[in-house]
Amino acid sequence: MHGIAASQPYVIALFLAWAGLMKLFGRRTRAQAGRTALARLTGPARAVPALRLVGLVETALAAALLAPPFHPLEGVAAALMSVGFLAYLTYSHVAAPTASCGCLGTHSRPVDARSFARAGLLLAAALLATAAAGAAPALPSVIALEAVVLLALSAELDRHWLTPLRRLVVRVRRPLAVTPSRDVPLEASLHLLRRSLAYCSASAQITSDVLEAWDEDGMRFVVYGARERTAVFAVPLSGNDPAGVRVALV
Amino acid sequence: MRSRRDVLKSAVLGGGAGVVAATALGSLGPEAAFAAQKSFATQQVEPGAPDPNFAEGRIRSIKDNTLLVLGSNMVFHTIRVVDGTSLWKLGPVPFDQAKPGDGLYARGVLMPDGILAAEAVWLNIVNIKGHIRNITSQTIHLDHNGQDVLCHVVAGKSVAVHSESPPTADLSMLKVSQHVQIMGAWRPDTNEVDIATVFSPH
Repeated sequence: MHGIAASQPYVIALFLAWAGLMKLFGRRTRAQAGRTALARLTGPARAVPALRLVGLVETALAAALLAPPFHPLEGVAAALMSVGFLAYLTYSHVAAPTASCGCLGTHSRPVDARSFARAGLLLAAALLATAAAGAAPALPSVIALEAVVLLALSAELDRHWLTPLRRLVVRVRRPLAVTPSRDVPLEASLHLLRRSLAYCSASAQITSDVLEAWDEDGMRFVVYGARERTAVFAVPLSGNDPAGVRVALV
Repeated sequence: MRSRRDVLKSAVLGGGAGVVAATALGSLGPEAAFAAQKSFATQQVEPGAPDPNFAEGRIRSIKDNTLLVLGSNMVFHTIRVVDGTSLWKLGPVPFDQAKPGDGLYARGVLMPDGILAAEAVWLNIVNIKGHIRNITSQTIHLDHNGQDVLCHVVAGKSVAVHSESPPTADLSMLKVSQHVQIMGAWRPDTNEVDIATVFSPH
């Protein structure tokens, strides 16, 4: 138990160092500061200085947590910071629901359950760290496990692992694969119809959308309303040549 | 006694003796098109003014062939659906498919009594752009400005258009994280859409 508590400062420090250094030195982070919820809180003009200040505090706290000896007050500071994160996330969720939080580098995802889970986990870690009593050694496996969970909760990294993973799953399981069918969807015939000269010549007369459609003798017949009359099109079911489309106004 | 469909078929395929005013391709001359434009021009709407021949909103109630629709600007529309009115709900549908709660766009002619005689009604039609977040069994999870939209593939109806190529019922070429535009039918009061067409840039 003491080992787990003693591991927490390292987890928090690693995470804060990443967040702080991204804010201080990430060029794109600064460029997109105006689009984060922070800009809403401080005003767009002060967004970059505010981002820098937060980055500086995060880096300083990370350094303090890493530098031995560990003092429980550092844990309290980390807990206060985590409460601040949660408050900020709540604010951005309410005040700027479409803006990203700007917590760790750039991404366009708004604040969601994962952001709250990540800040909540940081708070739990910080509270656990305040209970760390001196001598117990840190457990590398605990640090690694928590780091992995925190990284998995970071939407900023999704494109590095989640998107390729989903692509792989789609390639293996092919969820949209269909058994080949001879039925031609109506929408496919309508795309061909709309590209045809027959449709262009009659379109000025057409007043409604498709009234009815039926298949007969390798053709699909599509009926539109055309003022007081009816426009009937014959679209070939096979082939992809719009010249095969014919029209009559009845 | 020939059915209506037989009459229409013979008209368009050119075998129809006795069909009144049948016009084959080519005989719809420019004068017909200009006549249509002229009548359109006289009805043109002032810029900024609402188009009287158009209505949008959600169906509050249905009585006989009349829809009572509350527009998004809180204006009520009364829309009459007749035999010649087309209804779209992921494809052409009969009138009984219109349900209270459905969103709609309607185009027609505003009658002197304030009722819009509809020529075409599109129910729940949506046109959204976004990124594919994930693909699971017969569904596409779309990220539309950070909002999740669950898009269902409907067998026999959904098609994909890749770039300029012809539409295909095979949607398996779509990839996670790519940008798409989806036309479809919204399922009222959910974040779910049935797909009519997926447009993919490549």
